[in-house]
Amino acid sequence: MTMEAAAADRASPAPGPAGRPEIVLKSSEFRKGREAGWRELDELVARVERRGVRALTLDELQRLPILYRAALSSLSVARTIALDRNLLLYLEGLALRAFLAVYGPRANPIEGLRTFFGRELPAAVRSARWHILIAALCLLVGTVAGFMLSVQDEAWISTLVPSSLADGRGPSSTRADLLSKEIFAPWPGAVESFGLFANVLFNHNTLVGILAFGLGLGVGIPTVLLSVYQGLPLGAFIALHYNRDLTVDFLGWLSIHGTTELGALILFAAGGLVIAEKMLFPGRYSRIENLALHGRLAAQMAAGAVLMLFVAAILEGGFRQLVQSTPLRFAIGFGVGALWLVYFCYGGRKAQRTIDDIRRDASNSASTRVSEAKAR
Amino acid sequence: MTTTYERTSEFLEGSRRARRQIITPEGVPLTVELADYGERVVALVLDLFIWLVATLVIFIPLVYAIGVSGGSLIAISIALFIGFLIRNLYFVFFELAWRGATPGKRLVGLRVIDRTGGPLLPSAVIARNLTREVEMFIPIGVLLTWSKAANGGADWENLAVALWMMFFAALPFINRDRMRGGDLIAGTVVISMPKRVLSSDLVERALQFAFTEQQLRAYGAFELQVLEELLRRPASAGSAQVLGEVCGKICRKIGWTTPLQPSEVLPFLREFYTAERAFLEREQLYGKVRADKFTPPGAR
Repeated sequence: MTMEAAAADRASPAPGPAGRPEIVLKSSEFRKGREAGWRELDELVARVERRGVRALTLDELQRLPILYRAALSSLSVARTIALDRNLLLYLEGLALRAFLAVYGPRANPIEGLRTFFGRELPAAVRSARWHILIAALCLLVGTVAGFMLSVQDEAWISTLVPSSLADGRGPSSTRADLLSKEIFAPWPGAVESFGLFANVLFNHNTLVGILAFGLGLGVGIPTVLLSVYQGLPLGAFIALHYNRDLTVDFLGWLSIHGTTELGALILFAAGGLVIAEKMLFPGRYSRIENLALHGRLAAQMAAGAVLMLFVAAILEGGFRQLVQSTPLRFAIGFGVGALWLVYFCYGGRKAQRTIDDIRRDASNSASTRVSEAKAR
Repeated sequence: MTTTYERTSEFLEGSRRARRQIITPEGVPLTVELADYGERVVALVLDLFIWLVATLVIFIPLVYAIGVSGGSLIAISIALFIGFLIRNLYFVFFELAWRGATPGKRLVGLRVIDRTGGPLLPSAVIARNLTREVEMFIPIGVLLTWSKAANGGADWENLAVALWMMFFAALPFINRDRMRGGDLIAGTVVISMPKRVLSSDLVERALQFAFTEQQLRAYGAFELQVLEELLRRPASAGSAQVLGEVCGKICRKIGWTTPLQPSEVLPFLREFYTAERAFLEREQLYGKVRADKFTPPGAR
């Protein structure tokens, strides 16, 4: 109806008073016909921005995409027929705000987190199985090297194990020391456990793990080195206990949280390797595009690894000294490890989204690639 | 296409914002303005302040409740842990719930969007905020706890951390979309969303002064939009004088010989604006776009 009014207006311009020349601007008539729609959209978008989509009634929700498309079309027309700067800037801004309101993140945070842990994380881990294998091999190489060196000559232990990690354990420790102060040390109590738990979360391993991930940006070499380096003190400790005939008890003490914690470290390193691979071999895309395309996978793995470190910290801080039997420790450690394996192997299989899907989506939306706006 | 009014903005505001285009699924290119470094720092500082307050609000009662029997180490551990939890939940929650804006970003007028113009996915939000941990908080934490661990240790670790921080701090400055590490990995970019209002149309319907086509050929779109901006400015003490000067220049340029009363200056300028815009828009419809007065008439 507004359009018709505008058309009628144009067809029969009212005669100007006192014979003054009469001017009818197309852009100005165009604005008169559509302004109400823009104002309505502006009001709806402002409400969505303030209080989310839930602030709209059902009717308004149905109006939103219609008004949005109308505003886009207005913008396209205005760019060709109008020279009114205020109008053009307003329409640019309105169209962008409406675009973000219509195509913004749809899921609420809870829904988003559920999708993430239910589907995206296991899928990301599965798609990086080769990276995980490489990272695990690096850790294994480090462990074996640390063990071989230390089992011959215990002087290596003090070299390989940082003093903050050794905590008094070293070549001078006796079998009885290790048994009473380390493996079967008494439970320190809830408050101490929590302190330990929180401390563990920020200990050496976490730092190195997240560094291993982030250093993937350095084409992966630091990641590999860090993985090997992580294995060295582990191997040295095993050698220390092996020489005192405590191997089984130590492995039990280690495995209750170690399966989870080492898994997390491997996941971190694998994430770093994914980043490194995507930077080194960008394939059909530019490096930045390829990184954006697959970096999410790597970051998902790192988020999963943080979760695993949480669990490991609970196991280490809370349960390790509470459970004083080696077989039970093995059972818990490998049981939890098996749970992780099942989760990553079978979690969200039905709605799996592989790299190929993402790639296909990306090439479908190739037209929506960012291009630098022409400077002038 | 959209460049004339960007040029006018640059001329009037004296600064030039970096602009990028995203293409909506409907196929319409939209111009987005990248956030300035200053804006992003301010938003971050605001967010960190809110985070610090929230952490303390939870931390202090908790420490009172359990008592500090275990010593300061446990208290520090708990503080670190709560800080870590709140920090990550805070950024991820708000960027998901408020469509790419934390409270700090919202106050400054920033948004996180997908670089390709697609929807902002939860995994992208998690990715860009988890990387914040690597980029910023872990190195800061290491540097803060450094004094304790420094007894006799080599300075290599400290040096590596400092280099690490410098590398990540420099990242937004060395790529053209001003992305930090998290943005690179998540494929996002931070844009600024200026508030714009639609003012009334300046066009006059009935004209008192008549301009010939020859006179209207004197100017192009750039001059028209600068004149528009002058006319839209709220009236102040100096504005009448500026308008008078502009009016005098226009009269000389187009050869307007009839003298104008001071009270006629504003109507004259508005009508000249109307006539000039009508003329230039008509020419533009016929494909004869004229960017400014230096472009020869009729040239593309």
